[in-house]
Amino acid sequence: MSSDAPQNVGRRSLITGVGAFGAGVLAAPLGAVRAEQPQAADSGIKRGEAVQVHPAPPALADGYQSLGLDEAAIVEALVAHMWPADDLSPDGVVLGIATFIDRQLAGAYGQGDRLYLSGPFKQGKPEHGYQLACTPEQYFKDGLRHLADVSVQRYSSAPDRLTADQLEDFLRDISSAPPQAPAFNLNSWFNELFYPLFVRGAFADPIYGGNRGKQAWRMIGYPGLPATYATDMVTYRGRRHPASDSPMSIQDFS
Amino acid sequence: MATQLPEKEIVVIGGGLTAGLVARKLVPAGREVLVLERGPDWAGSAVGELPHQRDELRWSTYRGMTRRENVETYTLRHSPNEEALPMRQLLSFLPGFGVGGAAQHWNGQTWRFSESDYVLRKHITERYGAKSIPDWMTIQDWGISYRDLQPYYEEFEALFGIAGKAGNLKGVKQKGGNPFEPWRERDYPLPPLEMSEASHIFKSAAEQFGYQPFPMPAANASRPYRNPDGMQLGQCQYCGHCERFTCEANAKATPSSLLFPLVRSRPNFEIRAGAEVIRLNITPDGKRIASVTYIDVATGQEFVQPGSLFVLGSYVLSNVRLLLLSKIGKPYDPVTRTGVVGKNYCYQVTSGINMFFPDKFINPFMGAGALGFVIDEFNNDNFDHAGIGFHGGGYISATQTNGRPIEARRLPPGTPRWGSAWKKANADWYLRSMGLSLHGSSYANAKNYMDLDPEYKDQWGRPLLRITYDFDENDAAMCRFVNGKMEEIAASAGAKVISKPSVRKSPYDSRQYQSTHNTGGTIMGSDPASSVVSPHLQSWDAENLFISGASVFPQNSGYNPTGPVGALGLRLADDLLSYLSNPRRLG
Repeated sequence: MSSDAPQNVGRRSLITGVGAFGAGVLAAPLGAVRAEQPQAADSGIKRGEAVQVHPAPPALADGYQSLGLDEAAIVEALVAHMWPADDLSPDGVVLGIATFIDRQLAGAYGQGDRLYLSGPFKQGKPEHGYQLACTPEQYFKDGLRHLADVSVQRYSSAPDRLTADQLEDFLRDISSAPPQAPAFNLNSWFNELFYPLFVRGAFADPIYGGNRGKQAWRMIGYPGLPATYATDMVTYRGRRHPASDSPMSIQDFS
Repeated sequence: MATQLPEKEIVVIGGGLTAGLVARKLVPAGREVLVLERGPDWAGSAVGELPHQRDELRWSTYRGMTRRENVETYTLRHSPNEEALPMRQLLSFLPGFGVGGAAQHWNGQTWRFSESDYVLRKHITERYGAKSIPDWMTIQDWGISYRDLQPYYEEFEALFGIAGKAGNLKGVKQKGGNPFEPWRERDYPLPPLEMSEASHIFKSAAEQFGYQPFPMPAANASRPYRNPDGMQLGQCQYCGHCERFTCEANAKATPSSLLFPLVRSRPNFEIRAGAEVIRLNITPDGKRIASVTYIDVATGQEFVQPGSLFVLGSYVLSNVRLLLLSKIGKPYDPVTRTGVVGKNYCYQVTSGINMFFPDKFINPFMGAGALGFVIDEFNNDNFDHAGIGFHGGGYISATQTNGRPIEARRLPPGTPRWGSAWKKANADWYLRSMGLSLHGSSYANAKNYMDLDPEYKDQWGRPLLRITYDFDENDAAMCRFVNGKMEEIAASAGAKVISKPSVRKSPYDSRQYQSTHNTGGTIMGSDPASSVVSPHLQSWDAENLFISGASVFPQNSGYNPTGPVGALGLRLADDLLSYLSNPRRLG
């Protein structure tokens, strides 16, 4: 948070190939880098001796399904800022949060699969929840565009070109400032769409593309599957459960 | 046009708890039962199998066991003079859908309502005077007493293998049980679950105040169990995937594990999934139900199913909507306070506190839906309400239902919402935090009700149900009071950090999950002018129609509703047998 240097995280992945057209050439090395990350993260976490290392899961297909180049750059910038690399884990892009968000937008959720999208459409109160006529994917992309516009107005720079301090100020502002009608409501876009997707990308089962290597689960000590604790309820009451150090996911049982 | 089907003797609308309890009794007695369920049969799908059962994103965040809102949702407004808008994502509650209904994805918290609940207006009037009840608080009596339901509670607890500790055996208080529970004939069929670290912390703290903590009665089997019908439950694995999920260990009591298998192979029983009833058809004389019209949800084709006896046992909100769509009974009008269908919609008043212990491993991921100690000192009318300005109350518990990481990570107040400090807080506190919660009563208000929305339609083009609801001053005052008691307990438990509980007050926020304990709308009572069904759950308008479920509660108690829904369902089964032997108005 203290660095004044531009982050450029969004552009970074373009350089290495994520989301770029013709990324096939570069996808393989990138996958290899990601497969190493769980081990890299391990060294930074204090935990018991008995760290069970599972074989690295096969690398997910890289490349984005829904996000375009500029969109991906902004998402990656936010994700890497909000889930920074530190001694707990690598950054959120490496963790797969941007991939998760992209897959959600391209999939059933983003396409409004179960959303009630019949009119008439009225704004109502915040407590009425989602009242837009568009799908979450469209809403997400409208928000990215407005985020970029406001960023340029305020900082003369796209969100993925801001310094860490600028991006921090920007995110704090849009997440807490009351919306100013008729401007696009970036406050609810961030709090009710972007932020929940970000959190899900970090903590959902890795089968969806985020939480790669179960690193977020390992960071907090969530053991994942199989979660059969009939005897552990007594054995580990008030004690750290060894499975907290070596979480298992759906893929490990598939 | 609709296809006419051959007549069935008993047609049950909705394949949930009521259907299971009714079928279990009527089918072995030789009666022909057809159950129409709009949702799927979950048996054999990923929802109940490892590893996919443990998928939080799919079943919890995206509500995989509930109905798609684009097929049908509900509209909401906070008062009768506002415009309602559809809840385009249904987040605040999870109506039953599919075989087993809401009792398929419940937590398993299984209570008996207080003796005062069934006679609430009479009880409050006698103890505090009629003037203590505000004009707008339209609470009323059920038309039955606890004594009428008591044998059925015993039977339901035996069928569902409830794990707990008796607090009142035939009037004799039992140490370690709930001193406020209504008297019971027998102890619970299973011993309590193994308690969590969080529960022990809560118990010690509560005892310092002289409160009497006891284990929550749980439909999560504490050991393998065989019920009186010979149906079996496995042992709970404390996996923390109960509510919003179905149990892969067959340890959570549900209609599809304990009730339907008993009758499924019988020739006089059929459960038809994917059959959505859209209307009850009245006979030309207007006094009986002749048939129901349903849609095969796969093809959109309509069918007319005649029968001689009909049971409306779908989810609370669907019971109300079907009566309104079928024009059975007089809709409630909040201005004149006349009419009955849709009246007394109630909910549940809840709140919570988070507590953080740097030196303790709470391990929230080892949990079960009804695991935890509870105190009942401030529930319902278990304490003196004279001069405190509200009625009702709630229980305080340290239930450890789950530690699913997307939604169950507790963070101390003031934690940033992202960045390294946020990550560190997650790493520091996930395993070392716990919650206390208040689960409180919701008393009827003349302006809270349900009717048909004038504007919004479902997939089949029929009006959505409109919910007009908000928390009132009684809810906020009750919540504030019990929150205060909860805060005192939390403060004495040795936590390093404690969050401040919020007061549940207006406006009701449909974006937050609060409870699936929607109640009322087809309420029971002894007067046809103020109720939809009789004390025997028989429609005042159509003699061969019976309605059950939490839609018959005239108001909601501080306890979870499944216990009384089960007891009412079993009592209804006896009443139906009596009616079938001699069709008449039961009195």
